[in-house]
Amino acid sequence: MSNKNQDNEILLMKGNEAIAHAAIRCGCDGYFGYPITPQSEIMETLMDLEPWNTTGMVVLQAESETSSINMVYGAAGCGKKAMTSSSSPGISLMQEGMSYLAAAELPCVIVNVMRGGPGLGTIQPSQADYFQTVKGGGHGDYKVITLAPASVQEMADHTVMAFELAFKYRTPAMVLVDGIIGQMMEKVILPPYKPRWTEEEIKKNTPWATLGKSADRGPNIINSLRLEAYEMEELNNTLQGRYREIEKNEVIFEEINCEDADYLLVAFGISARICQKTVELARMEGIKVGLIRPITLFPFPTQVLKQYAEKVKGMLSIEMNAGQMVEDIRLAVNGRVPVEFYGRMGGIVPSPNEVFEALKTKLIK
Amino acid sequence: MNIADIINPANLVYEKTKVMNDTPMHYCPGCSHGVVHKLIGEVISEMDMQDKTIAIAPVGCAVFAYKYLDIDWQQAAHGRAPALATAVKRLLPDRLVFTYQGDGDLAAIGTAETIHACNRGENIAIIFINNGIYGMTGGQMAPTTLIGMKSSTSPAGRTVPLAGNPLDITKLLAQLDGVCYAARHAVHTVAAVRKTKKAIQLAFENSMNNKGTSIVEVVSTCSSGWKMTPADSNDWMVENMFPAYPMGDLKNE
Repeated sequence: MSNKNQDNEILLMKGNEAIAHAAIRCGCDGYFGYPITPQSEIMETLMDLEPWNTTGMVVLQAESETSSINMVYGAAGCGKKAMTSSSSPGISLMQEGMSYLAAAELPCVIVNVMRGGPGLGTIQPSQADYFQTVKGGGHGDYKVITLAPASVQEMADHTVMAFELAFKYRTPAMVLVDGIIGQMMEKVILPPYKPRWTEEEIKKNTPWATLGKSADRGPNIINSLRLEAYEMEELNNTLQGRYREIEKNEVIFEEINCEDADYLLVAFGISARICQKTVELARMEGIKVGLIRPITLFPFPTQVLKQYAEKVKGMLSIEMNAGQMVEDIRLAVNGRVPVEFYGRMGGIVPSPNEVFEALKTKLIK
Repeated sequence: MNIADIINPANLVYEKTKVMNDTPMHYCPGCSHGVVHKLIGEVISEMDMQDKTIAIAPVGCAVFAYKYLDIDWQQAAHGRAPALATAVKRLLPDRLVFTYQGDGDLAAIGTAETIHACNRGENIAIIFINNGIYGMTGGQMAPTTLIGMKSSTSPAGRTVPLAGNPLDITKLLAQLDGVCYAARHAVHTVAAVRKTKKAIQLAFENSMNNKGTSIVEVVSTCSSGWKMTPADSNDWMVENMFPAYPMGDLKNE
C-alpha cells in the first residue's frame, strides 16, 4: 500500500501497519528494530514503503533489540525523531537502553505490541507488561509516558502524539498495545504529512543535540553519568519534577456511560473494547455500569478514579494479566469502595459475557 | 621568570591542540589513554573537523573522554557504542563519527554491536584501546588478557580451560567485507605515537569518504591494573602483548 493516500481518505489496515504509516507521515527520522511476533509488520511495512526515497527517513534492521534501542539513543541524541518497536521479550531486552534514554533526557518513541509471558511465552495477545512499563522496567527511578491505543485509528494517532509528548518533556514515550490491536484490521484515517525537521529546526528545537560543536557554543554531551552523588540527586530531581508536570498536564482517559453508573469497569486497550460490550449487556439487564478507559497509563487517571469512588458502589479492573493496573486503581480509590479484578493470562482474551459474570459475582453479588 | 617569558613564539616548539581542553585528566600515570586522546584531538584539528565530529564514549576508564576533547559526545551504555554510532552516521552522513572503546566494552559485552556494525560496513571509525584488563572496575580479566596474566579475577593467571584463549578481535573484524581498514599500533615510543596518529587520520578520512568501517587498535598499558611502574609497563607490553597482538596493518583497502 502506498503512503501517498489522499488526506482524510479512509483506509483498511492492520494496527501495526498504521503505526508505520503514521511514523513516516509525522516526520520520523529513523526506525531501528528487530523482528518479533506479533509486531513484525511495523518494520515490514516501513521496508516496503521505502521512506528513505521520499521523506529521507532511515529504516534499519538491527542485530538485536539491545542494538535497536541503542541506535534510537544515538539518533535521539542528535535531536532526531527516532523510534523502535518490539514485543514483550524484546522490550525486556530494551530496558537497559530505556533507563539510559530516560536518564540522558532523550525523547523517543517505543512501541510494545504485547504478547503473553513470562519467558518466551506465547505470540497470543496480552497486557502483562503494564507493571514493566508504568513502574519503570529498567534500573533507577524513571518513568515512561505510556499511551494505550484501543483501535487501529489510535495506533496511528498515538504514534504522532507519542513523539509530541516525548519532545515536549525530553523523555521516552511508549505506545503500549496488545497483539490484537496490532494484528486486527480496521478503518483508519492517517495523520497528515509533516515534513521532517531541517537541521536548522533541530538546532532551534533541541539545542542540546550533538550535531557537531559549532564555534558559538561549547560541546554538547549526551550523558547519564553523574559520579558525584549530589549531582545524581539533582538529575533525579529534574526528572521527577518533569514527571509531576506530566501527571498534572497530560492525563487522557475516556468515559463511557459513567454519568449514572453504579459500577465502573476500568480497562485499557482491547480489554476496554470488550468491556464496552459488557456495559451494553449489563444495561440490557438494568444494571447501571460504566467504563473508564485510561488512554495514558502513565500519567494514570488517578484523580478521575478518586472522584468516581465518591459516586459508585464499586469498580472492576479488567486486564489480560494477573492483575496489575488494579493496584493503581486501588491506590486512587484508597479503600472508599471495593475494587475487584478479573483477568485472563497467557494469551486468552476474555469475552464480554465472562466479564459480565465476573462483575456479578465479584461486585454486585 | 614568569610563564609568558618561557612560552613565547621564539621558544615555542610544541603547542597543544585547541580541541583538547585544560581539564586535568583522571587517567593514571603511564596510561595510554591520554596520548591517544591527544592524537585524536590533533587529527580532528588538522582535518578542521571540530564542528563536524560526533564521538561516542564507552563505559570503562574512557567513559570520561568527553571531558577532555571539546567536541560533541554521546556517552553510550556498556558495549553499545557502535550501535549509537551507526544511527548517528546514518542520520548525519556528512559528519565524522567515531567510537572510543576499551577491550571489555568492545570485545566482551559489545561483541555483537561491534561485529554487526563492522559487517554492515558502517562509515564509522572505531578507536580500540586494548590493555588486556578492566581498568575502571579495578583490574579484572578481559577477553584480551594474556594466558598466564594475573588479574583480580584470574589471580593465579589466566588459563585456557577456565577462560579460553585471548580474543584477537581486530583480526576477526578484518575478515569482514564491511571493514576497509584494520590496524594495530601502540603509543609507547615517539615513533609508535606517530604511526598511531597516521592510522587514526586514515580511519577518520575513511569515515568521511564513506569507505566502510575502520578499526584502529592501540595496544596499551594499564600500570595500575598490571601493578607495574609506567616504564616497566611499556617493557612488559613490548615483551608480552606485542607477540600476541602484532603491530601493523591487518587490512587496508
